[in-house]
Amino acid sequence: MPTLIIDGKEISVKPGSTIMEAAQMLGVFIPHFCYHPKLPIDGNCRMCLVEVEKMPKPVVACAMPVNDGMVVRTESDMVKKARRGVMEFLLINHPLDCPVCDQGGECRLQDFAMKYGPDRARFGDDKRDVNNKELGPLIETEMDRCIHCTRCIRFSREIAGTEEMGAMWRGDHMEVGTFVKKTLTSELTGNLAEVCPVGALNHKPFHFQARGWELKHAFGVCNHCSVGCQVRRDRLENKVIRVEAAHCDSINETWLCDKGRYAVDGLTVKRVKQPQVRKDSSHGISNVGWQEALDAAAELLKSVKAEEVAGIAAADRQGAEELYAFQDFLRNTVGTRHIDFRVRQRDYSADESVLTRADLFMNTPLEKLQEADAILVVGADSRYETPIMNLRIRKAARNGAKVFSLGPRALDSNVPGLVNIVRRPGQEPVFLKALLAGLTGATASTEVKELTETLKGAQRPVVIIGDHAINHPQAELIRRQCVAVMDACGALTSEWNGYNRVPTVSNAAAAQDMGVIPHRGPGYKLVDNPGYHAQKILKAAAEGEVKVLFILGNDLLTEAGDTQLAKQAIDKAKVIWLGAFDSETVKQADVVLPGMTVTEKDATLTNVEGRVQRSNAAVKAEGEAKEDWRILRALSDRFATSLSYNTIDALRTSMAAVDHRYDLDKLSPQEMPVACDHSPVTTGLDLSGVGSSEGGAGLCMIVEVPFYFGDPVARRSPTMAKLDAGNRLRINPKDAQVQGIVQDQKVRVIQGETKIEVIATLDEHVPEGTIISYSGYAPGPSQDLCQWDGGFPTVSLAGL
Amino acid sequence: MSGQSGTKVVYKNIHLENSHTLAVSKANGGYQAMEKAFGMTPAQVIDQVKKSGIRGRGGAGFPAGLKWSFIPKDDPRPKYLVCNADEGEPGTCKDREILRGDPHLLIEGMIITAYAINAQRAYIYIRGEFVREAEVLQGAIDEAYAAGLLGENVAGRGMHFDLAVHRGAGAYVCGEETGLIESLEGKKGQPRLKPPFPANIGLYDCPTVVNNVETLTSVPDIITKGGDWYSGLGVANSTGTKLFSVSGHVNKPGNYEVELGIPLKTLLNDYAGGVRGGWENLKGVIPGGSSTPILTASQCETVTMDYDALAKAGSMLGAGSVIVVDKSVCIVRAIARLSRFYRHESCGQCTPCREGTGWLAQVMGRLEAGKGTMKDIDMLLDISGNIQGKTICALGDAAAMPIVGAIKAFREEFEYHVEHGRCMVG
Repeated sequence: MPTLIIDGKEISVKPGSTIMEAAQMLGVFIPHFCYHPKLPIDGNCRMCLVEVEKMPKPVVACAMPVNDGMVVRTESDMVKKARRGVMEFLLINHPLDCPVCDQGGECRLQDFAMKYGPDRARFGDDKRDVNNKELGPLIETEMDRCIHCTRCIRFSREIAGTEEMGAMWRGDHMEVGTFVKKTLTSELTGNLAEVCPVGALNHKPFHFQARGWELKHAFGVCNHCSVGCQVRRDRLENKVIRVEAAHCDSINETWLCDKGRYAVDGLTVKRVKQPQVRKDSSHGISNVGWQEALDAAAELLKSVKAEEVAGIAAADRQGAEELYAFQDFLRNTVGTRHIDFRVRQRDYSADESVLTRADLFMNTPLEKLQEADAILVVGADSRYETPIMNLRIRKAARNGAKVFSLGPRALDSNVPGLVNIVRRPGQEPVFLKALLAGLTGATASTEVKELTETLKGAQRPVVIIGDHAINHPQAELIRRQCVAVMDACGALTSEWNGYNRVPTVSNAAAAQDMGVIPHRGPGYKLVDNPGYHAQKILKAAAEGEVKVLFILGNDLLTEAGDTQLAKQAIDKAKVIWLGAFDSETVKQADVVLPGMTVTEKDATLTNVEGRVQRSNAAVKAEGEAKEDWRILRALSDRFATSLSYNTIDALRTSMAAVDHRYDLDKLSPQEMPVACDHSPVTTGLDLSGVGSSEGGAGLCMIVEVPFYFGDPVARRSPTMAKLDAGNRLRINPKDAQVQGIVQDQKVRVIQGETKIEVIATLDEHVPEGTIISYSGYAPGPSQDLCQWDGGFPTVSLAGL
Repeated sequence: MSGQSGTKVVYKNIHLENSHTLAVSKANGGYQAMEKAFGMTPAQVIDQVKKSGIRGRGGAGFPAGLKWSFIPKDDPRPKYLVCNADEGEPGTCKDREILRGDPHLLIEGMIITAYAINAQRAYIYIRGEFVREAEVLQGAIDEAYAAGLLGENVAGRGMHFDLAVHRGAGAYVCGEETGLIESLEGKKGQPRLKPPFPANIGLYDCPTVVNNVETLTSVPDIITKGGDWYSGLGVANSTGTKLFSVSGHVNKPGNYEVELGIPLKTLLNDYAGGVRGGWENLKGVIPGGSSTPILTASQCETVTMDYDALAKAGSMLGAGSVIVVDKSVCIVRAIARLSRFYRHESCGQCTPCREGTGWLAQVMGRLEAGKGTMKDIDMLLDISGNIQGKTICALGDAAAMPIVGAIKAFREEFEYHVEHGRCMVG
């Protein structure tokens, strides 16, 4: 360990560290612009020049490796002079338009100019004039302000892997931008504005909205996907107008995806603000007071037998508190067993096995994922399902890991060297069976040879099961096969557990921990007499067996796996709807209770690793909305058994009693369970049921969740609307030719009696025989064509 | 256009007819040093070059043998040899003669160097403007391949060595070795941070030696005649012969190969035909290329052309590009032109050089136009001080040094421009 002295303080650091890193450990601040702890070092701004004894010239602290016995001075006359010089150089061509700059008040250039720069300008010549760039709906540019630190370039090249930004020309003509004039396409572009140390790249939705010092900050957790990135939500008055990444090495480092950052403007659109009750069918629904609405809800619930009530929750819009209270209310106050949140899942056979938490979520911590040396992604489009997790996969690939994707289409990926194994939907188990045979037998068939050899040679292999595989008709078989693959690789040990099931729905882990599933209660405890799962609930409702549906936040008519069945269920049953976002489903409800968004309440969110995190309220609720758990508490007063907690602390104590990992207030940091600390993965389950390798005939349709339109907030967001491609059908150009369909043509997709209309996009990533549609678009969502029981629907097309 | 007399190491054959062909090269001793080197171990080859004391002829003057010895021995990565033929320093035109007059000498020097550092692949990065030279060089390489001197089995000695020509696109900064490597890798020509040095992490992140054309073409004679013989040429610390490109106001401008340590006055009078209008008409000499500070006429009386003497005189030997300036020249105007050049050629990546060269050029332009102030002169010195030693590569220094040197030597001309709004001369 080299030992050096910085400003008279001694420190030992690990070999290869830089002076900057050593200084940071000592708490010595060295000013810098281009240095960013998560980006490759470039050493171009020269602001971090320091003096090192026995070196004739000042050196850049960010890049200079430490040597034993080095004596560094960060405040000597030489350093001060150098900094003054650099500051002056940076400002001579800078427009100094701080009063109209979005970055003003939170700008490094401004701060360092104050602290280290000369107080007077000597530059009297012509300043550089740089044209602004049109980079799309997310990034606003003011390129006169650019200091050429290349953070944005390094981010797009090294982290995002899209190489969209670059520098043109030389010298003081150098311009940062896209080489050929084009807008950015990455899912991570917001980070460009975040890494920009000056006001050159700004968040376009935030442009001219507020000054930095007017904003109040709340630290929270993003709920747009299951990764659970830590964020800082900035509010002006009572509106969140900006979201920035909060630094968290274990999860998102300092990055955020564009949905997590910019969908925030959807929070205030089309909200449920008033309690409503449908008084009689002819008069429609009318606004009422809270008491009347709660009375109506209680009356509805009491008008039927307990077993005729069922609950369906949306995990991603609730904290663990609401989820706990919801099942508590249904199970203990109402007395029903039917409760679930998995509205897109088709295969619930896993519920019949005694699976552990380890079987259902991630076991490789995000931080460790980048150390994997072989990665098999099964039915996961990680780049758009869990963008920040995908960065770890990308890092692993850059460190030399080979990454394979088994799925129904080739991925539009930024992972270098990704090998796409494309199989017709439904054929995944056939491939995995062959892979298992290759791993456990002597010889591997040609189709699995490369993958088998990679996995066999890997020390730290990883499998990631994603959205397509989780909502697959044979999801449990695929899951077991993936367990077996990792088992065959010896990768299910306590040193390295490479098995990861990655549901993309935010807070799904909390829903499971809190018992919002029919076969497990809170604390993931087995229940004696499991109730109906989501599919059965809707079926039973459609058939009249379940008479009252209590929906916590779902928009079943656009989000369910089988929207036809959801429609029948909602038409037939009485519906109590509790949540924040208005939708077609809400319009069908009989009682509507306005709840809060995650940004409006203190909430506990559990990410896909099993990491329990607190999110703080950033703004006050809209209209008369109240915390959802409080509404359930008030409702329970109208029953014999009321909920026992009157404060959020009491509620959290109840949660902690069933699951100690939720005891965040009492646990010291040392006692906190580490992420991914789950019970062992269950091995040795039955792997039969693999069909034949003969793929079916006809066009097979799969439904994906569109990235920019994937949840109610994103669907409402004007910014996301600018990015979303709309209700599209992706089809292989050859199939399109056969069907006589051209790019951007309107197409009717037909399955039996049902049809939907979408716009066709010709895409070579989609294999022949498969078409891809997207969920969430109303009216006529593509899930109308999906029967929950069946496999993937076979459809026919007609050009319009 | 070689000089009249004395020992020739590099320009020994370029005066011959068809000297660029393999036949003429071979008839005049070409590839014999290579044969001799194959009889030695790589360590012995490096040893001879170390003994010769030859310093890099591209301008920085780093001892070549030492540079080679930095290449890690037990490293599984491939090693690369790169020849820097991006001769871009204003005032320099010495390598060009070699490239078109004796390309086989370069190829031979590169084979020997590659053998010494265990490189199997080498590139000649040639300045884009050298169209004819690139053609001649490619012709010579093709000949060498056909003759079995390059390829999988060099001269039947079992050494695998491939050599390719890569043409630059006209950026001065690509003459800086790490900028050159970036450009060779297909990226924007921007110098890298050092450390790490190319000997450890160079081309494609592998150990790499980058040498100037003149350095590499000196190697064959060092091997043939021995390091001790070479170090006997020149003076202490500046051994061997050096190519000087003498340009400007002399009667016989040209490239001259002479031993280092030659008095500047001798070089100008005996080789370059004397200063235009006689020695008294001399105003100053830029001794090592545009980036080196100018010497005054009185310094030129006594200074010798070697590393130490020029450093003592406050300038540098650089690439040996002697630019002679007579009394008809306005120093302010000349330096203003140079400042424009450096502004244009700064790669733009690091702050002091990107912003500083532009600022210097603007102030110099103002002074030249007679619109400057006395404060501007001292400000130039201060800005130059803020650039020098604070940049990633030496281009910033190169832009600052001529200004600092000119103000030091000819301050009165700057002041005249301020006071009279016009030039002292003419």
